[in-house]
Amino acid sequence: MMDIFLTVFSATFFVTIIRTTTPLLLATLGGLVADLSGALNVALEGMMLIGCLTAVIVSVYAPWYVAVLAGLGVGGLLGAMMAFFAYRLKADIILVGFAVNILAAGGTVFALALATGGDKGTSINLQSQAIPAVDLSFLSAIPGIGPILTAFLSGHSVLSWLAAFLVFAVWYFLFRTPWGLWLRGVGEYPGAPEAAGIPVAKVRTWSLVVSGALAGLGGAQLAMFNYVGFTRDMTAGRGFIALGAVLLGARHPVGALLAALLFGTFEAFAVVLPGLFNWMPAELIRMIPFVVTIAALVLFSIRAQRALAMRGVK
Amino acid sequence: MALLEAIGIGKTYPGGVVANDGVNLVIEPGEVHAVVGENGAGKSTLMKILFGIEQPNAGRLVLDGKDVSFAGPRAAIDAGIGMVFQHFSLVPSFAVYENVVMGSEPRQGIRFDRKRAIAEVQALSDKFRLKVDPLPPVSSLPVGQQQRVEILKALYRNARILILDEPTAVLAPQEVQELFVAIRSLVAQGKTVIFIAHKLPEVLEISDRITVMRQGKTVGQVKSSEVTEKSLAALMVGREVTLRVDRKPTDQSKRVAEVRGLRVVNARGTEVVAGLDLNVHAGEIVGLVGVEGNGQAETLEAIAGLKPIAAGDITLSGEAINGLPVLDRRGRGLASIPEDRISEGLATGATVAENLVSTKLTDRRFVRSGLLDLKAIRDNATKLIAEHSIRVGGPGYTVGTLSGGNMQKVVVARELSEQPKLLLVNQPTRGVDLGATQFIWRTITDARDKGAAVLLSSADLSELLALSDRLLVLYRGRLVAAFLNTPDLTPETLGTYMLGLSTQTAEDMKPALR
Repeated sequence: MMDIFLTVFSATFFVTIIRTTTPLLLATLGGLVADLSGALNVALEGMMLIGCLTAVIVSVYAPWYVAVLAGLGVGGLLGAMMAFFAYRLKADIILVGFAVNILAAGGTVFALALATGGDKGTSINLQSQAIPAVDLSFLSAIPGIGPILTAFLSGHSVLSWLAAFLVFAVWYFLFRTPWGLWLRGVGEYPGAPEAAGIPVAKVRTWSLVVSGALAGLGGAQLAMFNYVGFTRDMTAGRGFIALGAVLLGARHPVGALLAALLFGTFEAFAVVLPGLFNWMPAELIRMIPFVVTIAALVLFSIRAQRALAMRGVK
Repeated sequence: MALLEAIGIGKTYPGGVVANDGVNLVIEPGEVHAVVGENGAGKSTLMKILFGIEQPNAGRLVLDGKDVSFAGPRAAIDAGIGMVFQHFSLVPSFAVYENVVMGSEPRQGIRFDRKRAIAEVQALSDKFRLKVDPLPPVSSLPVGQQQRVEILKALYRNARILILDEPTAVLAPQEVQELFVAIRSLVAQGKTVIFIAHKLPEVLEISDRITVMRQGKTVGQVKSSEVTEKSLAALMVGREVTLRVDRKPTDQSKRVAEVRGLRVVNARGTEVVAGLDLNVHAGEIVGLVGVEGNGQAETLEAIAGLKPIAAGDITLSGEAINGLPVLDRRGRGLASIPEDRISEGLATGATVAENLVSTKLTDRRFVRSGLLDLKAIRDNATKLIAEHSIRVGGPGYTVGTLSGGNMQKVVVARELSEQPKLLLVNQPTRGVDLGATQFIWRTITDARDKGAAVLLSSADLSELLALSDRLLVLYRGRLVAAFLNTPDLTPETLGTYMLGLSTQTAEDMKPALR
């Protein structure tokens, strides 16, 4: 028991949480932007996965930041493609989203095999790169709390810092700029912005592009920091967890951060627990984040219903 | 010189419906110009063309003496035309000021300048005497105020010409008066108002000139001071009409339906019907009066079995029907004409014949050993189409191709093809032209004369006053007044109670509660 305690309250565990949370948070922010514009992006999973593979392959030939940008770009392109099918060709957006997911599941394996010369499982024989960690060890010089600061703040991915900033940026965009007002208006009642001359389909198209770009960025973090290299189906449902996190976070950027942190924490558990409890099947432990997702969504829904019932009684 | 002119406008929709055919409209600056006509006369299409939503196939628009064409609403807005739709275009959770400025927000760098937006909306509201608080979310405002927000929205975009599409349809009489005060203030400050309506007394009260449309054509332009309600109605339908029905004296001693302590809570947890008691007797029509959303629709749905109830008892001919499914209630003689014919009353993709038997699929005349008797179904349809003079190519046409009035006739024909004991009617003639209205009123009254107990809800007070024997006024889900329908009962009296400005005592209500 003591072992868990020591592990959970250690700085390394905190760093693990930040690591597991970052791809989820990026995807959740992506899901949030799309959801608020009324274009439910069920393709986060597929976009992330394609982002992973693109980043890995590009990183073999180009510097890490180009690879990250490639992951982001390919996600944005997929978002634009979804928008094209949904708003120009009038296809159902949920079906288009699932098509992207299916395309990603098969397409990444196919592309991986082409890139590696036949390996359909991992990119182990590709020399892919990692996103550098931000070294803040100079903080140790601060007397007293310096070493603690270093232990907690140093060693995170560049993208983790970026993701934290993006929470603020997305919030500012949504609630402090005119375009955020448009986006939320389009999502809640498209008739109103339309009558005001705001191009509804265009707003949704852009939010899908941004949504895809954020998911792709999450993919880059996953394949270039959490793991270095691509494994088939390596996103393992994170895109769907992100969709749940959007709702759990009450469709607000700060809520999204908290929800992503919650799921990230349980994923971190799943990372460290097998070392502590070797009698427990690893498969069971790996289920934890998903069980928590379902439990959290059920609890959230019950709570929301109760809140409504309370208001009804008044 | 005319401010805005439409010359020879023609619009044919894909599918061949001719909505506008050589329409001419001349709007003078600073006037209130009413455009009247039956439903389907082409008023809405014309307005959509003026506002750039639809593009005409023929004709031209002249604004300030110059030819213009609007590629979209944005272009019309930029040219100084604003439109307030019948269904408001407001984002419910947004504050009033956010709704007003959306699309043309004051900015400071990339930031939305909230302070300035609030101040500008406040100034506009003061200037045009459209009193509304800029801060609360619009979903918390009554309909009349939401309409003001819509008007402010147009004014904020510097509209010189304001198009109001049936603005009074959703308002109580007092709110209509407030709207008219606002319209007069707008005109006094140099705005021009185009007012679409089909309630003639209102049109005569507010407008300076009237353009009458019939079947996609303009049939005349008159000065309001030179016409009467009757001559205007004759122009609209092309013949004299009297919207009146005669009700026979009936035996109203038998109590058919009883509702005791009915409570209904909606999906959001709000109590929409709060302890309602009412009775309906054979041979009478009881009108449920109220501004929309005060529990009338939910009461009818609860009795029909379409909505679960939170508490209360409903009996039909002395038997409790509370927990019974819809089909059993229908089996006991309940019929229902729902509010929304397209989503609730009909299957628009199915044929007229299929719709006419859709509530009778346990009837051995139409279904035998689980198989449809297509011939019987077709014969039934042919008969009902003739009886109700439904204008349709034949029993096999899909309902979706019919006009509003004829769709509603299909619903009425189905529900009244057998004499019901209790008939629930909600908005029977909304969006239905005068001819069909007359027919539907007659059919409902006939059912009453033959002994049906009828519970009627309508947003149109003149309809309630024309048909009802008794009137019950609901406000926030409670009974606040009850009247016997006597000739001296006016819409204004009802309006006072509809808006919750006063409430009758139990003693006052007693004579009209049986």
